[in-house]
Amino acid sequence: MLEVQHISKSFFRKTALEDVSMTVREGEIFGLLGPNGAGKTTLIRIINKIIDADRGVVRINGDLMTQKHLSMVGYLPEERGLYKSMTVEDHALFLGQLRGLSKRDVKMQLDYWLEKFTIGDWKKKRIEELSKGMAQKVQFICTVLHEPKILILDEPLSGFDPVNVELIKQELIEMRAKGKLIILSTHNMKSVEEICDRVALIDQSKKILEGTVSEIRESRKTGEIAIKFRGSMIAFVNALWTNFELVDKEILADDRFIARLKTRGETNFDDLLRAMMGQVRIEAVWEVLPSMQDIFIDLVTPKTEGTHA
Amino acid sequence: MRNSWLVALRELKERLGSRSFVGMMIAGPVLILVLIYFLFAFGGEGQQKWNVLIADPTGIMDKKILISADPDVNYSFANGYVEMNEFRDAKQFREFDALVEINEKILSNKLSFVFYRENPSMRMQTKIRYQVERRIEEVMVSQFTDLTIREFRKVKQPLNMAFRNVYDPMDEASDLRGWVGLFYGALIFAFIFLFGMTILRSVTREKSNRIVEVLLATVHPNQLMIGKIVGIGIAAFIQFVVWMLFVAIGLALMRSYVFPDLFDPSHVVAMGEHASDSFFAATEYNQFVDLVYERIQFGTMTFYFVLFFVVGYLFYGAFFAAIGATSGSESDGQQFVLPLIFLLCFALYAGYYSLENPESGLATLFHYLPFTSPVVVMVKLSLGYAPGHAYEIWMSLIILLLSAAGVLVLAGRLYRNGILQFGHRLRFGMLLRWMKRM
Repeated sequence: MLEVQHISKSFFRKTALEDVSMTVREGEIFGLLGPNGAGKTTLIRIINKIIDADRGVVRINGDLMTQKHLSMVGYLPEERGLYKSMTVEDHALFLGQLRGLSKRDVKMQLDYWLEKFTIGDWKKKRIEELSKGMAQKVQFICTVLHEPKILILDEPLSGFDPVNVELIKQELIEMRAKGKLIILSTHNMKSVEEICDRVALIDQSKKILEGTVSEIRESRKTGEIAIKFRGSMIAFVNALWTNFELVDKEILADDRFIARLKTRGETNFDDLLRAMMGQVRIEAVWEVLPSMQDIFIDLVTPKTEGTHA
Repeated sequence: MRNSWLVALRELKERLGSRSFVGMMIAGPVLILVLIYFLFAFGGEGQQKWNVLIADPTGIMDKKILISADPDVNYSFANGYVEMNEFRDAKQFREFDALVEINEKILSNKLSFVFYRENPSMRMQTKIRYQVERRIEEVMVSQFTDLTIREFRKVKQPLNMAFRNVYDPMDEASDLRGWVGLFYGALIFAFIFLFGMTILRSVTREKSNRIVEVLLATVHPNQLMIGKIVGIGIAAFIQFVVWMLFVAIGLALMRSYVFPDLFDPSHVVAMGEHASDSFFAATEYNQFVDLVYERIQFGTMTFYFVLFFVVGYLFYGAFFAAIGATSGSESDGQQFVLPLIFLLCFALYAGYYSLENPESGLATLFHYLPFTSPVVVMVKLSLGYAPGHAYEIWMSLIILLLSAAGVLVLAGRLYRNGILQFGHRLRFGMLLRWMKRM
């Protein structure tokens, strides 16, 4: 378990983090969200002991985190680089040995990962010969080479094509199943919804939200209902009468639609079904939860007077 | 420690694999050997062949000179007086570079004036003096003695006065040896600058390609900095050892195959009648040869060179690493290297100053000042320490070592605080704040 307790950090009068606390458990993918400049990278650097916090502590399994714990951590920073003139193997050997592996173990692990990603022939290639996406894969491999118990990944999916995004996501899910503790900092909200168990949102150096993805989405729902039906849109709108408000519609075919509605007054899901019965052919009805993207934008967009979240 | 060593090994591997390093490994000693070759081959020669007019109105020299075919000097004789102004302006004398005035008093006052158009080299002056003197000697022997010139030369005991330092009685060419010390010192600073710049570039490159953040997640900034300095330092040391090895082999080959006659005493004896002339030429000709092969104590010099190179490199290398870490961009870093270049140039000047004024108070200060001591100690070492004063070298080394440790600590703070700052404009106040911060 990794505990961040009351972390504050300032750089020359500029506050980067203010009293941020959170807990991440083994077997969990924890999404660290926030707009650019919110303080995520500073928090990650503090966890990695790259910089020291002004106040607060980081604990691993109850112990204060020190330099010796770093071999348990695999860190993939957002702004990551490689030594261009080195081969993939030399790079892996250098970083693997820095993280405490023997040469033999590095070579074994590297072979395993290259095989897994079906890129065995890259081993002797120099980094400068690789495309950006290929280099990203090498960086990912170098991060997990020493089988860290804690993975801290800052935008791990950027630079990958959709196929490789899926590949990396599957890897993360596998690692979670093996009990790894994963902190994922990303702006890719779709991925957050898909693979994160819990998230924290940092904005303007403060943590403003924390919870499971489903809890957060549930708590931010606005009572919208989506209905997929076959039939006439006019008949559908007439059936709504004054009990429901049509928010949006999506035309799937000449007579197939998805409509998003808001309930008014005391009406509920059952009332909707009753109203539509015989008017249109209902194919599906579900409660609309706000996407993480919507929640993110809603929370971090500066509010003007007269509006509220 | 292990991490620093891994970083050092990576740096070393990168240097050894780079073309520029391998290129310099070969080009450096080749350049030195070419320079030495030219000093050996042409070191004693003037820039041009001189046309010398000997104005001998009384015919003392009888239009003769001992060396009839000197490749460097061509003598002509004038029967009448030639005034200086006439020699300078008259068209018929334009072809002559110098005028030697031999008047009737020369046999008594032994005084002759030489007027020249362009300043003759020391070698040319010596040559003209020697050759004219020999001819006058011949004339005097025939006029005032019954001896043949060969008999006279057998009994003649020329008195060579060698001026020697009481503390270093074997030293006959201390000025040249001092220059050797300065050369060693300059070599230290050349290596420090070359490889200091390598440290700077390596740090700024790691910053600009952002691998530094990956490294810092495992390696402490100080370990990273030390590893980098040590790795590049080992590369510099390997470069130096290879240079010395190549130069030593080159010198040995030169001695055996390129200039074998310069070292063969039988060569001088076999000259017969003109043996002494040739010997004169050979001894002067061999001044550099003598210096390089006989006088320089390569063992001692190299031992102290290595010591001062290592510690001096750590001292300056820390500055280069700190500049690299604190600068916002590579060009920014290069700009901040300027003060360091001034310091390095100043150190070289301090070496030259100590060569000219070895006993002055300022030279003593430079001897202990860590910025200048590597080069000044080399100069003083070549000039020779007074017996019982060898401790001065070690004192200087200890001061340099302590200063290097202090600079490494400060540079470590700058490195730690600056390494993750990108794209900023470096200000002096910022540096001070970073230096204060632990």
